[in-house]
Amino acid sequence: MKTRRILRTPLGIAATTLMALVLLTAIFAPILWGDAAEVVDTDDLLAGPSPEHPIGTDNLGRDLLLRVLVATRLSVFLAIAATVIAVVAGLILGVLPLLLGRAGKPATWLVGIAVAFPGLLLALFFAVIFGSGWQGAVLAVGFAGAPSFARLCQTLVSAVAARDFVAAARVGGVGRLRVLTRHILPNIGEPLIVNATIGAGGALLAFAGLSFLGLGVQPPEYDWGRLMMDGLAGIYINPLAALAPGIAVVIAGLAFNLVGEAAARSLGIEVGAGPVRRLVRRMPQPSASPAIDASEPEHADTVLDVQNLRVSFPGPDGEITPVRGVNLRIRRGEAVGIVGESGSGKSLTALSIAQLVEHPGEVEADGLRFLGEDLLHGDEASHRKLLGTSLAMVFQDPMTSFNPTKRMGSQLAEVASQHGDSSKRDALARAVERLGAVRITDPERRARQYPHEFSGGMRQRAMIGMGLMAAPQLIIADEPTTALDVTVQQQVLNLLESIRRRDDVALLLISHDVSVVAEVCDRVLVMYAGRIVEELPADRLQEAAHPYTRALLAAVPDMQTDLNRPLATVPGRPIDPAQLPHGCAYAARCPLADAHCRTADPELTPVRDDFRAACWHAGEPLPNLAADAAADPFETAEQVEADQVGAEQAGAEQFGAAESIDVVVEVQS
Amino acid sequence: MSELSFDAVTVRFGGGRNAVTALEDVNLTVPSGRIVGLVGESGSGKSTLARAAVGLAPLASGRILLDGRPLVQNRARRPLQIVFQDPYSSLDPRMTIGASIAEILPRGLGRVERAAEVERLLDQVHLDPRHAASSPARLSGGQRQRVAIARALAGRPEVLIADEITSALDVSIQGSMLNLVRELQAELGLSMLFISHNLAVVRYVATEIAVMYRGRIVEHGPAQRVLTRPQHEYTRTLLAAIPGRQPLTKHEGART
Repeated sequence: MKTRRILRTPLGIAATTLMALVLLTAIFAPILWGDAAEVVDTDDLLAGPSPEHPIGTDNLGRDLLLRVLVATRLSVFLAIAATVIAVVAGLILGVLPLLLGRAGKPATWLVGIAVAFPGLLLALFFAVIFGSGWQGAVLAVGFAGAPSFARLCQTLVSAVAARDFVAAARVGGVGRLRVLTRHILPNIGEPLIVNATIGAGGALLAFAGLSFLGLGVQPPEYDWGRLMMDGLAGIYINPLAALAPGIAVVIAGLAFNLVGEAAARSLGIEVGAGPVRRLVRRMPQPSASPAIDASEPEHADTVLDVQNLRVSFPGPDGEITPVRGVNLRIRRGEAVGIVGESGSGKSLTALSIAQLVEHPGEVEADGLRFLGEDLLHGDEASHRKLLGTSLAMVFQDPMTSFNPTKRMGSQLAEVASQHGDSSKRDALARAVERLGAVRITDPERRARQYPHEFSGGMRQRAMIGMGLMAAPQLIIADEPTTALDVTVQQQVLNLLESIRRRDDVALLLISHDVSVVAEVCDRVLVMYAGRIVEELPADRLQEAAHPYTRALLAAVPDMQTDLNRPLATVPGRPIDPAQLPHGCAYAARCPLADAHCRTADPELTPVRDDFRAACWHAGEPLPNLAADAAADPFETAEQVEADQVGAEQAGAEQFGAAESIDVVVEVQS
Repeated sequence: MSELSFDAVTVRFGGGRNAVTALEDVNLTVPSGRIVGLVGESGSGKSTLARAAVGLAPLASGRILLDGRPLVQNRARRPLQIVFQDPYSSLDPRMTIGASIAEILPRGLGRVERAAEVERLLDQVHLDPRHAASSPARLSGGQRQRVAIARALAGRPEVLIADEITSALDVSIQGSMLNLVRELQAELGLSMLFISHNLAVVRYVATEIAVMYRGRIVEHGPAQRVLTRPQHEYTRTLLAAIPGRQPLTKHEGART
């Protein structure tokens, strides 16, 4: 499907048209005009352009246009033959380390040395060895191209070989050769083909060069390079004689490169980066869910106020809206947690608050105020400054959040000099002080170290320290401890807690782990299918009213779980944001759902003091959920996991957004 | 089934002055038909132990024994199989589910027998046998992990090693995976080394728990004993760090 789409783009059309033109000429020109191109006309030697000979004749009076057309076959054939040699030789050298194990090491060294030589030098060297004539030239250009292909193969092979499915096959008794043919080659085929196509364009040029130097094709045979060499002698009399074969080389080379690029696009390999922009705008439309918060007076100590937040992405079948109307208000010093499965929209909610959702994602809201400042309107630069100084973001993987080539201290100091207008020395002193504040021992020495010298937990603390360089009013932590060990997790959670208590900083903690959220937060928001479905006090999770929250809590084993019974599973299937049902999004998985649930979407309404749930049957007893699970716990297992793909893909999209965050963070902080 | 033992196993990476000792003098026995849970922080050597057992990490010294005899892992007999953490990396995206499983089946089976065997294995991990023709891209993380388990079972293992098999899954899926592990163990009587950093997860599946710290086993005993009366300081630290323990116990207390 994707291939077909690419073919319809201007690039695809240009590539196929040019390639078809070149190949048709290569096939039919020698058949149609092969003899005519050999006709000697002694009356018309070295003539200029004329109606009879559009680009003139050569020193034997042969028509040059026909000769350029006929030469297409040999030129293209030579380029392809040389590319095949380069790919095959490269492939063999590239897979030797895998096949031979330790004994294949010399192949890596050999390639390393060969890559260091300029390609043209190698080609000339081989051309001298193999002698002149096209056979020698093909071998020369082929072998000269082999090292770069070998290097590419080695890189691709080692990337695939490191993946778990290769290890699993080896453990399962599959031999090295079979691993190569069944697992590795199919997985490196695409990038190889793309690079080979582009390489063929390069080979074409190399041949033109060799023939031009007289090392390639020898008369009476001729290719474009040969024609250029012949035409050069009379360049002041008839420039077209040399230019025409040159233009032919350019067209054919272009055809190969465009096909390679189009192939790369259709196979999903990145060639260059697209534009990146950020879109936040306000759409005055009636709110999808009633803004309960709006009716409450906005307190002076409100740090963050979000009204009817929506995030959407363009999808293949129309717009997908992974966040559908989130209302959120956080007061000074308050800790609020968001829990939900992957694809529930929890991370996207955090990203849109920090204005980090990237194109093509679109963020809309009825209101988005941070410290009283309207983030939907007004000067973007001043918003960035406000967010940069008063909002700290902590992400799951602290390794990707730091620049690996810069010392930790200067990375932290950068934040202060960007916003705080302090001198470099002051900023560095503050960085050291902040590292100490996040309990990194010997901060002066640590500040001079690079990110890789920090352990995972230390990096995460340093990330928090970076957020503390200014005086943040809100810390948004998106799965801050998911990549960490339990003991380290405890330290990071304690740190966040102590910062909150000391400086009265508000905290928005996002996690899939209910127990983590419950430990740190005052209030917990449960997200499902892009909405908040329940809001409850963190210390009373066991009294949850929404059936989804209750199922989620039951599914996670803790140290009190009954060992004699199967674990409860959340029945049914998570929602694909692209296919939202009518009514309550959880209805399909809900043991309490009835006809009303499937037609009307419940809104977040108060259930009892401090509890709010979006459910028509909030708090009703669950019919035999546990008993069902005990009777046949596995019956629903497949349903649970089936179609989660959609939800996970939505999650992956969020990751796409998350990956590009670091860049923005640099700017922001 | 069989008993797997690590006898004074040491694994080093790199050489000379830069050598890193990942495992040092590890002695551990997985009794026949039991699940031994292995816990520890990342970098403690849990996964290296798993990889050493199946021959993916070379031993510097020591032996790996199966029923008291040195372990032989070859094309005909592969008594140890492993399931990895990341279900997105552990299946070849170019191969159908059926082909991935069939590859590990013993040689010498006919075409029809293979197809039937793949069907049986998929059924055993509660997947629709029609998935055999699907590519991994069409399955969710939980389903992929089931396929990875089916593939490991295709090698007719005597001991199964599960290396953090629930860590990459959503909490709502984790439960059904743990149910499957317990079910398979009961059904097939497999011996299993179950590696996880999550004590609550290990507590649920394992009868014995071993605690690893800096490449050494620092504590090993019946699950109940290790969790209630930990002997080693590090085990106590681990237990104290479990999040949500305090609020939950507090609540239990309040209700009774």
